Amino acid sequence: MVRPAMSKEGQRPDPESDADHRAFANAAWSIPSYLLSGMAVYGGLGWLLDRWLGTSALLPIGVVVGLALALYLVYHRYGR
Amino acid sequence: MSARQLLAAEGGNEFQAPGTEIFEWGPLWHGAPSWLTKPTLIVALSVIIVCGFFWAAFSKPKLVPRGVQNVGEVGYLFVRDQLARPLIGKDGDKWMPFLMSTFFFILVMNLMGVVPVMQLPAPSHIAFAIVPAAVVYVLMIFLSIKEQGLVGYFRNMMFPPGLPAWLYVILSPIELLSNIILRPFTHAVRLFANMFAGHLIIAFFATVAYWFLFEKLTPLGASLGLLGFVMTIIMTAFEIFVQALQAFIFTLLAASYIGGALHPDH
Repeated sequence: MVRPAMSKEGQRPDPESDADHRAFANAAWSIPSYLLSGMAVYGGLGWLLDRWLGTSALLPIGVVVGLALALYLVYHRYGR
Repeated sequence: MSARQLLAAEGGNEFQAPGTEIFEWGPLWHGAPSWLTKPTLIVALSVIIVCGFFWAAFSKPKLVPRGVQNVGEVGYLFVRDQLARPLIGKDGDKWMPFLMSTFFFILVMNLMGVVPVMQLPAPSHIAFAIVPAAVVYVLMIFLSIKEQGLVGYFRNMMFPPGLPAWLYVILSPIELLSNIILRPFTHAVRLFANMFAGHLIIAFFATVAYWFLFEKLTPLGASLGLLGFVMTIIMTAFEIFVQALQAFIFTLLAASYIGGALHPDH
């Protein structure tokens, strides 16, 4: 179905650049869900603690801490 | 609901911007089965168009392609060289049937938003974004467990190497939530929200043009109506771009998830 000449042109012989490409695409697209996830986990924890202790400051603190942790995770996974 | 019906239903003398009611569709005709609505008709048509197109392109392939086979091959090479091989790797060609169907099915469903008479991108209903995303999600989990084992999958996902042990306690919940719950969620919502917003924007400008040029033509309002008319054309062109882009991104993410399941090193 595909012309032989075409399949040759589209080949990527270099596995190194292949892996780089994959890593880059994965990083670019998983950052938003990491950030959301960090805010949700620690914001949620803060909210629960707020309800339990009757305070109101732990939710925003949890959101910020979760965001920072998520950024660290993204940096550790893809940034180096 | 057409613009005329919409305005007639409002009945007032004031301009009413279209809201979410433009996404609510009843049965196609009185007495039709309740599932037979405009969105399901569009989905069925999209399936027929995609199947018909590739049947026409590849049922009798020639060594030197011409006509519709040429277009089909360009589409195939685009998906293979931009998505399958870069994102999945050497074994990417094996996934071409899936990626090809996903890309063109979603592309045609999206483009229905600018096809006259249809004028509704099917994924502007979240169900039509959730189902393809759920298929990719189930496939991703299945492949991950098959390739890495159940324990290996969760270990690779939740415990990226090179961190002190106490940090895992803090970071693993983020990884788990991100990979298991938010990934399919953002995958579906990204497609849905883009189609929803795009359709609403076009409907808004079209309603402005219709209202101020035909329904309530005044010297002062005419320029506003003209602006709405021009913006309808501009936003329609922009929507064609967004529709193609979102189909591409949806397939890119599907390929990326499959690639991540097969090659967990990243």
